[in-house]
Amino acid sequence: MPASPRVPRTRRDLLTGLIGHLQVDLLINLTLRDLRSKYKRSALGWTWSVLNPLVAVVVYSAVFSVFLRIQPSTGDPSGLRSYAVFLLVTLLPWQFHVTSLTEATRSITANGPLITKIWFPRWVLPTSAVLARFLTLLVEMAVLLVLIAVIEGHYAFAWIPVVLLLMVLQLLFTVGLALMVSAANVYFRDVQHFLGVALAPWMFLTPILYPLNMVPDDREILGVGYRTLYQLNPMVSWAKAYRNALYDLRFPSAERWLAIVVATAVVLVVGFRVFRRLEPRMAEEV
Amino acid sequence: MGHSPDTAVALDGLGKKFRLTHDRNWTLKATMLAGHRTRYEEFWALRDLSLDVEHGQTFGIIGGNGSGKSTLLKVLAGILRPDEGTANVDGRLSALLELGAGFHPELTGRENVFLNGAILGFTARDIRSRFDDIVGFAELDRFIDEPVRNYSSGMYVRLGFSVAIHVEPEVLLVDEVLAVGDLTFQKRCLERFAQLKAEGRTIVVVSHDLDMVGWLCDQTAWIQQGTLRAVGPSAEVIDRFATGVESSGPAEGSIRAARPAFDRLSADDLVKSVGLVDPNGHPIDTVGSGRPVYIRVRYDGQSAGEPVTVALGLYRADGTHVASINSGAATRGVTHGDRSATGSGPGSGLVEVDYVVPALPVQPGTYELSVALHDATMRRVLERHTHLLRFEVTSTGVDPQNGLVALSGTWEAR
Repeated sequence: MPASPRVPRTRRDLLTGLIGHLQVDLLINLTLRDLRSKYKRSALGWTWSVLNPLVAVVVYSAVFSVFLRIQPSTGDPSGLRSYAVFLLVTLLPWQFHVTSLTEATRSITANGPLITKIWFPRWVLPTSAVLARFLTLLVEMAVLLVLIAVIEGHYAFAWIPVVLLLMVLQLLFTVGLALMVSAANVYFRDVQHFLGVALAPWMFLTPILYPLNMVPDDREILGVGYRTLYQLNPMVSWAKAYRNALYDLRFPSAERWLAIVVATAVVLVVGFRVFRRLEPRMAEEV
Repeated sequence: MGHSPDTAVALDGLGKKFRLTHDRNWTLKATMLAGHRTRYEEFWALRDLSLDVEHGQTFGIIGGNGSGKSTLLKVLAGILRPDEGTANVDGRLSALLELGAGFHPELTGRENVFLNGAILGFTARDIRSRFDDIVGFAELDRFIDEPVRNYSSGMYVRLGFSVAIHVEPEVLLVDEVLAVGDLTFQKRCLERFAQLKAEGRTIVVVSHDLDMVGWLCDQTAWIQQGTLRAVGPSAEVIDRFATGVESSGPAEGSIRAARPAFDRLSADDLVKSVGLVDPNGHPIDTVGSGRPVYIRVRYDGQSAGEPVTVALGLYRADGTHVASINSGAATRGVTHGDRSATGSGPGSGLVEVDYVVPALPVQPGTYELSVALHDATMRRVLERHTHLLRFEVTSTGVDPQNGLVALSGTWEAR
């Protein structure tokens, strides 16, 4: 029987479903919908998306650099020593992480009327929510590169390909997580609240506001070093790698890359599997 | 069930169940506490449904509320996954379950056309090449760059319909969407359906509007409580549905003739009989649309013991109220006059009242008649029999009409 517009069932179909029908048009349209409608009917419009990181960097710099006197690491080999740059190169990717997940979680439940009336591949909803934020991140990172070049005389342009690769891997990682949380949220609305609670401690357990070497290396819990335990958090690898490329101007270590690629692959595969499993009854439960 | 290559929609032993949880565990904690399994009742919305729709056919699905019609359409559309059996749709599919689903209120009509088209599986290029047709059909040229939140509900629906209809589906699923929009729009929708039908596309229509199904569909399936009750030529199935006749097995082609339901009248009732007679006084059980008919009511005027007013109510089989009339003063003096005229005897006191309709102004279909006897002031109901008589109104005109009433107009072209 020729293809019916149904979720592919066999492994081969799944591959075709993933590669053959990447739903490019649908993804583009839904992403544009998110971007276009986001600041409709607000006076400041897109200025808000610039204000948000600006306010964050001012407040965090004041509290952590001035009040708590956290010293940024010195860029090696760049020699740069600026808390604002040190913070921003990891804060922007982190904010992408937070806003993507927050918006993706609700992407299916918020589109309930659509899901119960029209069939289309459901994974495009969380994916387009993440994509919309990713486009914002691209713009923010570009602005950041120009600003630090102008203000600090810190030229990181040569590292753009490395940063782009990191960003694409982070995009895939986030899509994997988004698939899990958005599907789970259909069945348990706790997920969106849990995420709100979990994201704040997650940020403090990632080296964004302070350098990684401030995490004690000489203390242990149940025979495992603090820092080893700390680095189980995959976002640590991204933070470190972004900082290597944009602050230190150095190629991230092989272990970082390995951790990043493995985390991305695992989360993406698990994400799609979880999503496939939870997809069939979404229209009934949403 | 073997499927021929002509089959556009093939259902084989289809079953869909829903879980009814009386208090749904919306929280993780509650589920954890309740253990892995939450308690729920299973309810089969569809069960053991096998059905083939051939390419190019216009297929109706009828049934009462909660019969599973819309569930079936959602399974066909791929929105719901069957729990048993299979549902296969061959060819590009478009489902009109709700017009304008997926429109974003803050976006303009233009942006929404592309968005909606993409959701329906179209590329931007496909939409671009049809854009003018879509906007033209929806008659929204002036407003296409306005946000759709400023649209009237009619404009919204027109645009939704226009997008869905222009995606050129091979199989089109329609759920009661024609109940929306004004008459002009409904008419244009029907014209468009007729055009799609002429192009050989397959259309599956779910509707309560039996007239529309009868007019549009070649074949119709009647679904009751999730199972197939009858399938066959639309007129037969609709008739069976309307008369509620049980049927197992395939359509035999013989329609149970409408018959007066006098068996529902007991000997104690004042009303003795209700029937239709033609102008020559012969009892009939079908009436041609626009033809004369006498509605004859016989009742026991003596037992009533007082002057009565006879009231008639005419309903379509789907329950639509067509007309109510009462005899008013016409029967008031009848009881006493009759008694004195006929004297004593077995038939004494029997009053016969005819309501004379010179030309029955209703569309072909199945109708039901309710009869009530009131006291002369219409304040008190002596007796009421709802849906006592069921009869057919047959088509007589050459030019097809539809709707509720039969206009006895003629065309004059100059």
